[in-house]
Amino acid sequence: MTHYCHNSAAAKGFANCHSCSLVSPITEVKCPRCQTQLHLRKPQSLQMTMAYLFTALLLYIPANLWPMMVTEKLGQVEHSTILGGIILLWQDGSHPVAVIVFIASVLVPIIKFLILLLLCFSVYFSHILCPHKRLKLYLLTELIGRWSMVDLFVVAILVALIQLEHLVNVQPGSGAIAFSGVVILTIMSAKSFDSRILWDEHNKKQNSLLNKTN
Amino acid sequence: MKKKSMIACHHCDFLMSSPAIKTGDCALCQRCNHKLTRLDPNAINRLLAFAITGLIFLFLTTQFDLLTLNLSGHISQLDLFSSANKLYFDDYKILAILVFIFIFILPVMILCFIVLFIFSLKTGVGKWSQTSLLRLIFLMMPWAMVEVFLVGILVSLIKLVAIAQIDLGWSFWTYSVFCFCYVKILTLVDRYQFWSWIDEAHI
Repeated sequence: MTHYCHNSAAAKGFANCHSCSLVSPITEVKCPRCQTQLHLRKPQSLQMTMAYLFTALLLYIPANLWPMMVTEKLGQVEHSTILGGIILLWQDGSHPVAVIVFIASVLVPIIKFLILLLLCFSVYFSHILCPHKRLKLYLLTELIGRWSMVDLFVVAILVALIQLEHLVNVQPGSGAIAFSGVVILTIMSAKSFDSRILWDEHNKKQNSLLNKTN
Repeated sequence: MKKKSMIACHHCDFLMSSPAIKTGDCALCQRCNHKLTRLDPNAINRLLAFAITGLIFLFLTTQFDLLTLNLSGHISQLDLFSSANKLYFDDYKILAILVFIFIFILPVMILCFIVLFIFSLKTGVGKWSQTSLLRLIFLMMPWAMVEVFLVGILVSLIKLVAIAQIDLGWSFWTYSVFCFCYVKILTLVDRYQFWSWIDEAHI
C-alpha cells in the first residue's frame, strides 16, 4: 500500500484535480467541475521523469558535439558548436553576452539535469535534503527550464538575417535539433515530476524512525 | 458542502480549509510556504485589458521588421515570420515549426482564449466552452516563450553589432510592449480565481 503524507488530501481519500484544483473524493473518478481524470498522485511520475530525463541526457551529447550553426564566409565553411560559439564571443570581447549564452545553454541544462536526478534519487534516499529545500530546487527547474531556448532562437534569427548571397551565409546545424530536444524533454521531465511524493517519502521515513525508537 | 470549502496545496498536498482573504492579499500554504492564490483587485478587467492590448501589439509586430542588417551595402531584414520561414525552407522543418509555435501560435491562442473566456463570463454566452477554454489555457501556458525570444533578439543583436550595422525596427518595440503585456498576464492568471469565476457563473 502506498503511504501518503500525514495531513495530506490523499491520506483522507481526497484528490486534488490537476487542472482546476477542486478537492473531491477519489471515488468520483472524474472531477465534477472540469471532467479531468482524478488521481491521488500523478501516475508513474518517477518513471516518466526518469525516462524523459535520460532521453534528454542522451540527446545532450550530440547537442554539444554537432554544430549548432554552419557559417559560410566567402567560400570558407565554419562549423560552430555551442561551446565554440561561446568561446568565440568571449574572444571577440563581448563578455556579458558570452556569460548570458553560457548560462542559458550550458549551465541551465546541466543544473536541470543535476536537480532532477537529485530529486528522483532523493525519493529513495530521503535524508539528502529537507523537503522544503527540495521543493525550492524543483520550483527552480520549472522557472529556468525555458531559458535554454535562447540559443535556439539566436540560431533561428541569425539564419534568417544573415543571407547575403556570396558574402556570408548561415545555416542551422544538426546540433540545433538535438538541443531543442534536450530543452523540450527536460521541461516535460520537470512537469511530470510530482513534488508531493517528496513529502510522502519524507513522512514515511520519519514514521519508521519513530517506530524504531519506540 | 464540505468538499467545496477544502483546498489542497499542489506541491505538498496539505489539506486545509479555504482561507478567507481580502483583495490584494496572498494565501500561502502552511507547510511548504508556496503561494496558493492571490486576490488581485479588479483582476478580470485588467486581464481583459492586457490581453486585448497584447493582441493589438502582436498584430502590429507582424506588420513591420524586427531587425535590419546592413553589411557594407548588403541589406537583409528580419520579421517575425521570416526566422521560422527560412528554417522551414532550409529543411529544418521541425525546428521551424517549433520556433513558430513557441513564439507566435501559443501566445496568440492563449491571449485569444483569455479574451473569449472573459467575454463569455461577462455576457453568459457559450457557457459550455468555458471549462475547455480554461483547461487549454493552463495546458499551453508553460510552453509559450515570448520573453525568451525577446532575449534571443537582444543576444543576436549584440552578436552582430561587432560585424555589421544593425537597426532595430518598429516591430522590435511593439514586440517588447506585447512581451510586457504577456508577462503581466502571467502574473495575473491564478488557477483558484479563474475556476471560482466559473463557479460563480454557473450558479
